[in-house]
Amino acid sequence: MRKILAIFVLLSVLSSCHGVDEYSNDVKGNFECLWDILDRHYCFFAEKNVDWEAVRQKYAAKINDGMTREELFNVCSAMLEELRDGHTNLSAPFATSYYRKWWSDYPQNYDARLIEQYYFNFNYRSLGAFTYGILPENIGYIHYSTFAVGLGEGNIDYILNYFNLAQALIIDVRDNGGGDLTNVDDLVCRFVKERTLMGYIIHKTGPGHDDFSEPFAYYCDPIGGGHFAWRKPVVVITNRSTYSAANNFVSIMKLLPGVTIVGATTGGGSGMPYSSELPIGWGVRFSACPILDANGNPTEFGVEPTPGCEVDMDPMDALNGHDTILDFAINLIVGMNEV
Amino acid sequence: MMRRALSIIMAMAMCLGAGAADGSASGSSEVVRPVMSAYMLRMGSSHLTDTYLTPLKYSGWSMGFGYERMQAMKFDPVRWVMQMRAGIDVDRTHNPSGNAVMWYWGADFSWSMMRRWRMTEGLTVGGGGMASADLGCIYAPRNGNNPASAKASVTVGVTGYAAWTGKVGLVSMTLRYQPSIPVLGAFFAPDYGELYYEIYLGNYSGLAHCAWWKNYFNMKNLLTADIHFGATSLRLGYLGNILSTKVNDVTSNLFTHSFIIGVSGEWLSINRRHGLSNDARIISAIY
Repeated sequence: MRKILAIFVLLSVLSSCHGVDEYSNDVKGNFECLWDILDRHYCFFAEKNVDWEAVRQKYAAKINDGMTREELFNVCSAMLEELRDGHTNLSAPFATSYYRKWWSDYPQNYDARLIEQYYFNFNYRSLGAFTYGILPENIGYIHYSTFAVGLGEGNIDYILNYFNLAQALIIDVRDNGGGDLTNVDDLVCRFVKERTLMGYIIHKTGPGHDDFSEPFAYYCDPIGGGHFAWRKPVVVITNRSTYSAANNFVSIMKLLPGVTIVGATTGGGSGMPYSSELPIGWGVRFSACPILDANGNPTEFGVEPTPGCEVDMDPMDALNGHDTILDFAINLIVGMNEV
Repeated sequence: MMRRALSIIMAMAMCLGAGAADGSASGSSEVVRPVMSAYMLRMGSSHLTDTYLTPLKYSGWSMGFGYERMQAMKFDPVRWVMQMRAGIDVDRTHNPSGNAVMWYWGADFSWSMMRRWRMTEGLTVGGGGMASADLGCIYAPRNGNNPASAKASVTVGVTGYAAWTGKVGLVSMTLRYQPSIPVLGAFFAPDYGELYYEIYLGNYSGLAHCAWWKNYFNMKNLLTADIHFGATSLRLGYLGNILSTKVNDVTSNLFTHSFIIGVSGEWLSINRRHGLSNDARIISAIY
């Protein structure tokens, strides 16, 4: 009996072997916790040529025990900026850090009012995140503002049916900052004729910077069950603020037959973000799982338009009520049909 | 229709001493095996850590409901007893700074078969094997793409108990201590940084892991006091649960300490037509 009890006591002690690193809730503890979280989980150190250990030394020298919370936040935010990643944020009760240069260093190339006023005379339809209408050239136009909001199958059926007699479709994903990848699948399945490779997803297999899984291929099946599919030409319009799930949508559409990408290189954001937190209670989000396109190429730095279709908006055109990129897309479609 | 029911369920007093097993069940006397059933509410503290979700330790409360059933086994009712246990739990915990919540929802089921020995008058010990299935989920609403950590396992293990029945003052009671621990099995865990979205896309490889003490440690310590009041008993007790896993560099700890309050009793199913013969031997489930 004593031996049995001794065994159970021993087992109870052994159970504490699965310990976790603990961080103190002070300036140093929070800084170390943040650095460790990124060190173990962030997925683009190599692509971005970031020496994370050097970053630690650089910013550890800037912290001291007498710092206020805001001062600590500023140092930690600056450290995260070294990753040059729009998916990486530090969230405190008073602010969320955000790396903006992935879009702020580029022309915006989009003005919603320009299209609403001069192309539709404010006579367009809105449904969820979709704004749509038929252009005078008999071309269907959809602006999809965020993949965070999806549409039901019946709603998409209705929109595509509305464009039934249109000669082509323009899908404008400028300023679409992403959202839910399942909404990407819901839209792409309207444009594929057969089971189609959409890309590959990778995850980290351990805390090392090079610990990655083999790419896992994922596919899209064409919509069935009597739902509408689109088989006419499609032009997808992009700008630098086309990001994350929208960037993923463009990377998939670009490789489909009959689809042309027009505009500017997208903003990237191909790492699916992961969440964690610091002892102080601040949340941290960062890229953790890279997604590759169907050719196995990374899209973290954006998806380029179809060759010959790189277009920026001309401010003079805009003053005259013209969206240079949309005009290019319309002319491209009209030209296709004239040929 | 009710009259045609073959059995009626009647509460029996614990028949202290009356059903004491003092030897083999062989012979011509009828053997009756009452079922010990218990319904328990559990309330206590919970400590959660799951490095898939957060590096921080969360603490809070735990609540649960448990059911237990024990009965002497038909093939050798004096020496062998079976036990079935099932429960559901919900835990709500906070991070150290108190600005984030983490939940745990879980369900467990186990069936065990134990050999028992009567050590002295009133004291019985038992030990044997156990098969368990556990299902649960830790949910961290503040997280975006990694908000949950699913728990699922099937295991075989060992369990044992020591039960003493007697009187403390004028109150008759049964005290019992029962630890149980899985030894081998399989459990679910995604890879180090694998999102459940990837599993949703169809990547099922590497999700099942062989469970053994180094990577999967789950121990339940149950202490109960059944205070007998005629047909039924008031159960007071303690349940300590330790679930600690470490696989793919992800550590998950769930520690709960719960106070138990419930009702228990030994129940007999008696044929209404034939009744209970005068020489029937009642063999208790616990002692």
